[in-house]
Amino acid sequence: MIAGILFYATILALMGRNPVEVIYALARSFVSPGIVKDFLILSMLGYALYVSFKGALFNIGGEGQFYIAAIGVIAITLSLMPWSPGQSTAKTILVIVLAVFVATLLGGLWGLLAGVFRGYAGIDEVPVTLLLNYVAYYTVDYLVYSIFRGRHTYGYIRTDEIPEAYRLNYYLPPRTSSGEGLLGSLSSLAYQFLREFALYYAWVIGLAVVALVVYFVMYRTRLGLLIRIHGSNSDYLRAIGVDVCRVAVATLALSGSLVGFTASLYVLGYLGRLPYPVEESTANYGYIAILVAWLAVLEYKLIPLAAYIVAALRDAGINLQVAQLGGTEQTFISIGLLLTVFTVVKVFTEYRIEVRHSG
Amino acid sequence: MASIKGLQSSTESDQQPIGDNTSTPVVSLKRITKTFPGGIVALDNVSLEVYRGEIVALLGENGAGKSTLVKIVYGVYTPDKGRVYVDGKPVFFKNPRDAIRKGIVMVSQVPQLIERLTVAENFLLSLESVGLASPFTLTSRISKFIERESEKYGIPVNPEAKVWSLTYTQKQMAEILRAIVIGARVLILDEALTYLPVIERRKFTKFLLEFKSHGGTVILITHKIPEALESSDRIVVLRRGKIVATLGKEEADAETIRRHMFGEESKRLTEALPRSKPGKRKIIVVERLRVLDDYGREAVRGVSLSVFRGEVVGIAGIVGNGQSELVEAIAGLRRAVDGRIVIDDVDVTNKGAKAVRSIGVGIIPDHPLRLGVSADNTIVENIAALFSKQLVIDWTEMRRLAGHVIKKLNVKASSEDDPVKTLSGGNIMKIIIGRELLYAKKALVAYNPTRALDEVSAAAVRGAIKSRAINEGLAVLFASEDLDEVLELSDRVYVINTGQLYGPFDLDTTSRDEIEKYMVM
Ligand SMILES: Nc1ncnc2c1ncn2[C@@H]1O[C@H](COP(=O)(O)OP(=O)(O)OP(=O)(O)O)[C@@H](O)[C@H]1O
Ligand SMILES: [Mg+2]
Repeated sequence: MIAGILFYATILALMGRNPVEVIYALARSFVSPGIVKDFLILSMLGYALYVSFKGALFNIGGEGQFYIAAIGVIAITLSLMPWSPGQSTAKTILVIVLAVFVATLLGGLWGLLAGVFRGYAGIDEVPVTLLLNYVAYYTVDYLVYSIFRGRHTYGYIRTDEIPEAYRLNYYLPPRTSSGEGLLGSLSSLAYQFLREFALYYAWVIGLAVVALVVYFVMYRTRLGLLIRIHGSNSDYLRAIGVDVCRVAVATLALSGSLVGFTASLYVLGYLGRLPYPVEESTANYGYIAILVAWLAVLEYKLIPLAAYIVAALRDAGINLQVAQLGGTEQTFISIGLLLTVFTVVKVFTEYRIEVRHSG
Repeated sequence: MASIKGLQSSTESDQQPIGDNTSTPVVSLKRITKTFPGGIVALDNVSLEVYRGEIVALLGENGAGKSTLVKIVYGVYTPDKGRVYVDGKPVFFKNPRDAIRKGIVMVSQVPQLIERLTVAENFLLSLESVGLASPFTLTSRISKFIERESEKYGIPVNPEAKVWSLTYTQKQMAEILRAIVIGARVLILDEALTYLPVIERRKFTKFLLEFKSHGGTVILITHKIPEALESSDRIVVLRRGKIVATLGKEEADAETIRRHMFGEESKRLTEALPRSKPGKRKIIVVERLRVLDDYGREAVRGVSLSVFRGEVVGIAGIVGNGQSELVEAIAGLRRAVDGRIVIDDVDVTNKGAKAVRSIGVGIIPDHPLRLGVSADNTIVENIAALFSKQLVIDWTEMRRLAGHVIKKLNVKASSEDDPVKTLSGGNIMKIIIGRELLYAKKALVAYNPTRALDEVSAAAVRGAIKSRAINEGLAVLFASEDLDEVLELSDRVYVINTGQLYGPFDLDTTSRDEIEKYMVM
């Protein structure tokens, strides 16, 4: 990992950046409270994709599942059950729960669709999920442009803001005095982290829920076992009389629904509305999460760590304004570098182990 | 040029060759120890020298460490302790390619050729990878060689044929020829000859002798003691990771070898199996079944048979005569193009494996690593996939079942949570057999049910199958390439030849020769 970061810095240096500045920026990102948000979202999505990757189903349709689910939240909170002044707390909670539920369902449906193509028509899930991303983008765009187009948007084409009552944030007041010296700045940093976590408290709960659900399903239930076996030898499943197509469908549906669940929390806890066109303003979480799952080498325990690293790199990439590119490109550059480094390091460690053995 | 001097003196490994032998061993292992995660000591301080121009048979019960030993020579594993020497110089192989460059080539039970390419193209690829050919080498030269060699040994292999169209024998032949072509001086055969028909195996033996006379060395792993006695100059017996005996040709006989391999347990081998008394009801009924193989050729051509409750019906036949497809069709893993399969009065024709399984049918399929287990998963997970029917798995119960299988079949594993791929070949097979015997309530359909097992385990499995039939009325249909096994285990025998069934033969009135005649006609 350290080698990776050094390598990353070197590359950036070659691109005309001051290496010291680069390393400093990188180091700062790893302790920046700003990465809490990405960390939480990417951990959840990492777990969602973990499910499908474990089943050797390469769900790269996180993006589509994410935004299709997001539109569900918009539909519930703005259109179907709009907020009215003085509505009861019970109703507010009901709407939130319903929004999350519908989003989960929609994400699952989007995954299920890919699963049906894969399972019953035998079409590889990679192009299918990719294609479904575009279908999702255009569907969402169309809906935002037409029925969900907001009225209070200062002329922008986008949805209205989701009412404050439905938003899942908790604001801790900024700290006024933070003490002296190193201890003081450390405690102030800790407080900033705390504020971030409080702000996205729903995501913390969400992550716990996702991590538990994924663990339970994958390691305690029959479906999870079948998914894991599907990932290594689906012929064996066939031989013992399991409907392999149904396993594929269920896997992608489960993965999609977890993406949808995450998307609902993202909309309710941060985004607050959907822009138009949506594909130009997404954070590309659906794609970045692929890297998280991959970097964690499909190890359940490593998903949060991988999410943390990716979140930090992403933050550093944005801060550094790599080659004056847009946010997405920066992210992809840092991720591409990370992939290279990861592979190189892996090759080297394996090589070293063998040398030691024979020597 | 052939040097067969090393033979007599090489029994004392680790010491200087004595007498007139001054040649250095082509491969020598010095104090090799290999421990795997889980604490299993696969090899414990093993030393072995192998000379030019000799055939060494490596024998031992399942999990004795045979494959581990040759995988170390072949660069698949690196030893924890000890060294490998080639031509007297220490070597550190990182992968099989390093070994191949030194002239050490391994052929295992499963053909490794690429199915979509021709034989000659496969050869070319290998030649390229060891730097003996360029992408511009003409395949015609290779083809000539293949033709010449295959003619010499009477095993016809057409170099222009696509690999998939070859029989198993031809594939194995091609693979061994390839090993020679890429410059093998040491040929390792890990159960590579075991599934060849007797006649072909003889030809292979002739081939190996020829290879030997040109200074080649063979390390032969087998569970068939006669096969070892037939061709080898020296027999090395491994037991629990140690070499317990090295026997020269003269001193080796089946009895002695068995005693070294199994100790006390070898006595159990002589027990004959009782006959079962079949019931009146037909459990498995197959009518005019026609099944295609993977390439659309008709592999099963109008087979009809039936198995009564409590009866064991064996199908003898040489590999590749439709047994595999027949078993798969009955198991619901392969479509029947015509005919009917009825199990326990339920028509399961083309209803899929689920329908067959739900009747309580155990299946031991061909291709055990593909259809019999998921090797990356653990023993208990493999068992739970078949047995657990509830939404939430009762792992305690599944562990109990796994423990039962491990104990019942004497599987060498450190725990139920071992990934299946860490087990030895025979122990993987035991997991499959044990699981299916446990699952089978009405019937068991099997192909080569004791493949890869050592003699004692094989006898135990046959005993277990028979006792399920006798005591619980299990209907058993199995095909095996081992005629002895068919004769020993069956109450009634069929022969399958090019997809057609002959028989049934009554074992009291039919001689072995007669049955063999149907197999080879
Ligand atoms: N990769 C591995 N990881 C862990 N244990 C292993 C591994 N490979 C082999 N073993 C263990 O080492 C022991 C010896 O295995 P090996 O495959 O050498 O046996 P074998 O003599 O070839 O048996 P068989 O006749 O069944 O093929 C076994 O107990 C096996 O479980
Ligand atoms: Mg073996």
